[in-house]
Amino acid sequence: MKRIFAFIIFGSLFFVPGVFAQQGGHLSVQYDISFGMGDLGDYISKASFRGISVQYRYAATENILVGVDAAWYVFYEKRDYDTYTVGTQSISGIQYRTQNEMPILVAVDYLIFTDKVVNPYIGFGIGTLYTERATDMGIWRIVQDPWHFAIKPEAGILAEISGNTSAKIAVKYYNGFKSGDLDSQGFMAVSLGFAFGF
Amino acid sequence: MIIIFLMVSCYPDGPESYDDMDVVYTNYDDEFNFASQGTYVIPDKIVKITGTLDQGEDPEFVKEPYNTQMLDRIESNLAALGWTKVDDPETADLALFPAVWINTNVYYYYDYWCWYYYYYCGWGYYYPAVTSYTTGTFVMAFVAAGEEYVDPYTVWVGIANGVLSGAYDYGRISKSIDQAFKQSPYLKIK
Repeated sequence: MKRIFAFIIFGSLFFVPGVFAQQGGHLSVQYDISFGMGDLGDYISKASFRGISVQYRYAATENILVGVDAAWYVFYEKRDYDTYTVGTQSISGIQYRTQNEMPILVAVDYLIFTDKVVNPYIGFGIGTLYTERATDMGIWRIVQDPWHFAIKPEAGILAEISGNTSAKIAVKYYNGFKSGDLDSQGFMAVSLGFAFGF
Repeated sequence: MIIIFLMVSCYPDGPESYDDMDVVYTNYDDEFNFASQGTYVIPDKIVKITGTLDQGEDPEFVKEPYNTQMLDRIESNLAALGWTKVDDPETADLALFPAVWINTNVYYYYDYWCWYYYYYCGWGYYYPAVTSYTTGTFVMAFVAAGEEYVDPYTVWVGIANGVLSGAYDYGRISKSIDQAFKQSPYLKIK
């Protein structure tokens, strides 16, 4: 498997045109592993292995792709029995913490090369991030579900597999700014998937 | 398909046993000086709060031996914190009133198969699916008498709540009673 990847990445770098710089657009679907940071990392320290992202890109110029992103990430952690105190009130129990993150963004990517099979890119997205934070304790549930204004820097690689299919590997950082009673929510996602040109 | 498989296979585990759902809540009046108190009185029966209690009927009480087991647990915790039990309400600094109530929550729902195929949604001849759970709540309220025993008020409350398994479980109850006092260090007077 490693040899196959090495072949794809290093063996085909030379003089083969990048397909997505020339086609009208592509749709990519990725499996994402993500890591909460800041307030989200404090709330749920475990990595999320439940994430999916879909991206559509249209080639505005040879190097610049514009489009939209949609994704869904689920963070979850069972906290050990503990006591939580606010003012004079204390409550003890096991907490089940779940946080759903659903970004919807407009995005632009810049392709570093336009004439290679392996094509690095950097990107930026801006839009909204819907958060649903649910804290279950006993039979009770506390839900916070604000919409955040969000940004997303991204860097990745499109590696052509066939004429209109590429592997896509990316690292993204989503930041939803403070909204309602929730502080800024940030997480990093590592994506692995495929892009299909049309 | 691979992505769907990964999403489903990683679905998180929820509560695995009844005591995973146990919760203990406490609150107190931070202007009340517990350190200046020392004695308390407690009834020898734990009242069961039911819908008829406010209609003037005789209250129900927790059956033996559970009643005595729970009272003994409360008293041993208070003794460890430095409190002395007395029999006369007029000489006691505080009174602790324990109570329990049981509540059954019933839910029924239908069309839970709508995800399968839209054709089956919205038809009227189905049988509703029913689910229910019963919760038990145990309350301990420390009540101080006002001036000349008029206008008593609660200075501390401990509440234990959990989903009932259908069998009396002294281990869960005693653990919750212990936890209520453990998370109330301001009750320690010795």
